[in-house]
Amino acid sequence: MKELLRLERLSKRFGAVAAVNSVSLSVLDGEFLTILGPSGSGKTTILRMIAGFEQPTGGRILLDGEDILDTPVNRRPFNTVFQDYALFPHMSVFQNIGYGLKVRHLPRVEIRDRVEEALASVDLAGYAARYPDQLSGGQRQRVALARALILRPRILLLDEPLGALDLALRKRMQITLKEIQERVRITFIHVTHDQEEALSISDRIAIISLGDLQQVAEPKNVYFRPANMFVARFMGENNLIGGRLSARSGDLVRVQTPMGTLHSCSAGLGQADAEGRQVSLVVRPENIVLLSEEDSGAVNALEAEVVREVFIGSEDKLIVRPRGCPGMEIMVKIHSDTAVGARSGQRVRIGWRAENCWLIPEAEAACP
Amino acid sequence: MSGTAEPSRRAGGSRLEMYLLFLPTSLWLILFIAIPTVMFFIYSFWTVKDEFLVKGFSLLNYLRFFTTGVYPELLGRTLVLALEVSGITFAMGYPLALFISRKSGRAKSILYMLVVIPLLTSYIVRIYAMRLILGSNGLINNLLIILGLIREPLPFLLFNRFAIFLTLSVILAPFMVMPIFTSLEKIPRSYIEASRDLGASDFETFWRIVFPLTLPGVIAGFMFIFILTLGDFLTPILVGGTQGMTFGKIIQMNYGIAYDWPFGSALSVILLILSLAIILIASRFGALREI
Repeated sequence: MKELLRLERLSKRFGAVAAVNSVSLSVLDGEFLTILGPSGSGKTTILRMIAGFEQPTGGRILLDGEDILDTPVNRRPFNTVFQDYALFPHMSVFQNIGYGLKVRHLPRVEIRDRVEEALASVDLAGYAARYPDQLSGGQRQRVALARALILRPRILLLDEPLGALDLALRKRMQITLKEIQERVRITFIHVTHDQEEALSISDRIAIISLGDLQQVAEPKNVYFRPANMFVARFMGENNLIGGRLSARSGDLVRVQTPMGTLHSCSAGLGQADAEGRQVSLVVRPENIVLLSEEDSGAVNALEAEVVREVFIGSEDKLIVRPRGCPGMEIMVKIHSDTAVGARSGQRVRIGWRAENCWLIPEAEAACP
Repeated sequence: MSGTAEPSRRAGGSRLEMYLLFLPTSLWLILFIAIPTVMFFIYSFWTVKDEFLVKGFSLLNYLRFFTTGVYPELLGRTLVLALEVSGITFAMGYPLALFISRKSGRAKSILYMLVVIPLLTSYIVRIYAMRLILGSNGLINNLLIILGLIREPLPFLLFNRFAIFLTLSVILAPFMVMPIFTSLEKIPRSYIEASRDLGASDFETFWRIVFPLTLPGVIAGFMFIFILTLGDFLTPILVGGTQGMTFGKIIQMNYGIAYDWPFGSALSVILLILSLAIILIASRFGALREI
């Protein structure tokens, strides 16, 4: 896929506050890119600068290699789905969806045909005469989507469009959104604070925190291979174990921790990260297994004590405290079928494979 | 047992408290609004014969209104005046409200205060202020003389219908600006952004989105100015001279000069019905929500 849009050292200051800090990002033609970050991270400001609602205080925005900062909002080939949908309350669904065509002075017949087609594409045929206040949240959302897509924009910008919906509807709309994007093949830039949403619908995720871009990668990489401590923590439920590199040989490294020596693949480390460096070992709860007595050959095996077991549906969360580090809790996810019914205080052995962990060259308190 | 009894006792107590809370307001409304209204309604069916009040039911006052051409004609002329005043305050007030609502922070509150502050001074003072501006020794005439544009003061500025129109337009302007400003402020920024985003120019965004959404405020402004102009009698008395006659002034004259309270009351009832009709029409367009 070729590059469609490029943000070059894009910055935005509001008075003394830097909302966006020199963000450079390349958006590929036809991809579904999600800008993910906690509230106040600057993700919406980036979207608003692309749309043209905010003028950056530094940097450039290039579309097909051409700077578009001087192009006003109504001349940029982008359309936005707003967080509150921004449906015009005094216009019917038909008038809302046809608005962009009407201000382009297209013939009445063409407007009618295209609006009807757009309505059908979001399963709202027959709703043309309704007004926004007669629609449910999900229907409004689809009207907003149809209103933006009918203009066939080069990029569709989505500002937390699912934020106001309840959980079940949000899950359904995530799938709808993805299906629509795959059908129309328009580049989507989607802003959200919901990690799961970002992971499930994006081709790539750009994680942003306090105005700084943290990592841009495919969902799997953001999830299993966080670039830094912020991403590791933000992507939820990672186990982070602080330690010191003690030996490095090819793809394998040893990390000295209060729980003993742990083995890891060297993924995540730079060439310059040598022995003695403070690192944090990242292990996802689903990559940890309970070891039986026979599994004595496992590379990473820890004696631990169960703190509690939490049933969360398809999985059980087992919180254990490793021996040698009483202040630390490690989370293990096990399939409910194989749940052991562990009681608190029970001794277990946990372990994981060296290739299932990941190293971040940043210090984490070894034994909090 | 006590657990179920207590909440109901508490609810009973709060209901009594609620009535007590509304008592002063209710008394005030009954004493100064409801009773006088009922009284002039009753008065309007009485008559005056040889300077004596005849307390017997009669429709003579209403008959007199509808059969004497001058009264309906005067009402018509006053309605035209109200239309002119609301028209000019709309034409001047809408851009002003738009201008203020586009400012932000401090500038916005200061400008809005400047619109509202005149309402805090006495209505009579504001009419007198207009007299000082329009009079033959007033601001405008003196200024024009100093500039050498005229030699004699312009006579048509004061004591005629034009002076009533001008004075009412100035002193009632806040009642047009306020509801329009309120409805402008209620429009979420995202509507305007969405319109621009969908390709509309600034003008189209105003015409298709902003203006339609402020119509209730515009109608509320028209309603205020219509009702206030129809009932006003001080402005014609103070700046209208002999030729500036309005419906409000004729009511005042029946009470204060002719001592024909029953006929004055009948005219008031007609005015009241007209005003209620205007409010009813305005509320159909959602105007009352903007106040």
